[in-house]
Amino acid sequence: MQMAMGLDLAYLERAARGEFDLGWLRHWDSEWGVRATPSKTGLTMRDIAIGSYGDIPDHAPRRTMAPRGSDVDPDVPDLGYTLNDKADVWADNVLDLYEEAVSRQWSATRDIPWSELPELEPDLEHAMCQLATVLSEVEMVAADFPAKWLWRINHDFVEAKMFLCTQIMDEARHTEVFRKRALANGGGLGRASAVVERFLQLILDADSYDEGSALMHLLGEGIVLSLFRAGEFLSPSAVEKKIFRLCMQDEARHVAYGTMHLRYRLQRDPSLAADYHAYLDKGEEIIAMIFATPEIAEPTAILAAGGVEQAAELGTAAGDIMRHQIIGEYLRRCQHAGLDRRGRLHLPAVLIEGVPGAMVETAA
Amino acid sequence: MTAIDEAFPSDAWFSELVARALADRSALERLGIAELRLGIEITEDGNGPRLFGIVLDGYDIESLGELADSELGAAATVSGPLEAWREMVASIEEHGQADTAHTLNTLSIAGVPFTLRSADSMGYDKFFRYMGTLQALFDGAGSPASPAVVD
Repeated sequence: MQMAMGLDLAYLERAARGEFDLGWLRHWDSEWGVRATPSKTGLTMRDIAIGSYGDIPDHAPRRTMAPRGSDVDPDVPDLGYTLNDKADVWADNVLDLYEEAVSRQWSATRDIPWSELPELEPDLEHAMCQLATVLSEVEMVAADFPAKWLWRINHDFVEAKMFLCTQIMDEARHTEVFRKRALANGGGLGRASAVVERFLQLILDADSYDEGSALMHLLGEGIVLSLFRAGEFLSPSAVEKKIFRLCMQDEARHVAYGTMHLRYRLQRDPSLAADYHAYLDKGEEIIAMIFATPEIAEPTAILAAGGVEQAAELGTAAGDIMRHQIIGEYLRRCQHAGLDRRGRLHLPAVLIEGVPGAMVETAA
Repeated sequence: MTAIDEAFPSDAWFSELVARALADRSALERLGIAELRLGIEITEDGNGPRLFGIVLDGYDIESLGELADSELGAAATVSGPLEAWREMVASIEEHGQADTAHTLNTLSIAGVPFTLRSADSMGYDKFFRYMGTLQALFDGAGSPASPAVVD
């Protein structure tokens, strides 16, 4: 048999004479007779998770791109995936989150009424542009991180990979919409600080998907979700309100994956809790960064107060609300995931003071 | 913009609110699928709280009317005093949509005047996951009346 690059060249000659092989048509090992029924929103990923096609192995038997459930040629090459256990990447809500993500996409070009942006006082415009600069900067790490790991995830967990693809698109759009906001109203981009970049590096350089996902999906995106909520609250016009509202929806989806992925992971291997505590011990300084970085803390204070003059007084109150919200919501998500961080936060006392569950409880 | 004729809060008011959202199916589908059982609690001095239920189900929205907490099984409940709810509705009626001081997120972020409660963090975060749909739903209080009412 003549072969080149694995091709059966003799087959070309046989096929040219009309001598088909038809082995694929007569004999196969995959399941036949499956008929998925669309549900009320259309034919969803959950609708097709039926029969053997819905069986997701705890450990992938091969490292190939062969679709799960297909009749796989025994000679397929090893593609070298390193995340081959379902628990490495899975979450019980990932099929639904994928459908939701696809369905709730929006356009930063079409869906934001840019022409309705009002003229702002220079200090307010500057503050909004600085906040937009930081958000345009930090959002892309949440695309870079899943992109870094996607090609290492076994194709048997394709639904999780598909969800991470939607996250990459979401984050591209967030980077886009905040860059557009900075440039749309007579301002421009502000300052990118070294401290922010160092925290982004922490996520990007994580040694494992476990570590990076805990730092990004659970901790980092939880913080950004709170920042989006605060941004909506502080927005000087309906245009920014809509930007933050749409971003908030996407971010909450990513946090829902992160929370439920950690829950899935710990339910199957509770001994990993110590590792996750260690990751978060290291990462919680991200929370401190929000309040200790002028390029983040001060624009929000100025927007909350409506100007620089009043920022010291009113901005502090807004900062306290954000601090309680960020830490309180983070603790609840950790708890839901099965990782109790109450009383063991790695944060300065000044930040956790007054936040329920944040301080170490001492016996009376 | 047309205010809802029915009294707020009432089963009829929430039914009309939902009917207005469903009247523009393409806008609803553009917002995307959602899955949430939301409680809307209205408190008033001297009276017990009143709870109304809204269900987001795929591209559908349903008003469950007034019911008991145990009947609703809400993933999240947004609660606030009657005067704050009325102020929000009045803002929507006046501007055709909530002004910057009266969006659902703005009214609930500081825990005053609205609070958000849920059994767990997943339910809590759903309030934000579907914020676009929820805000569009309530902004319907300032939109034209639903065809059924016009007829």
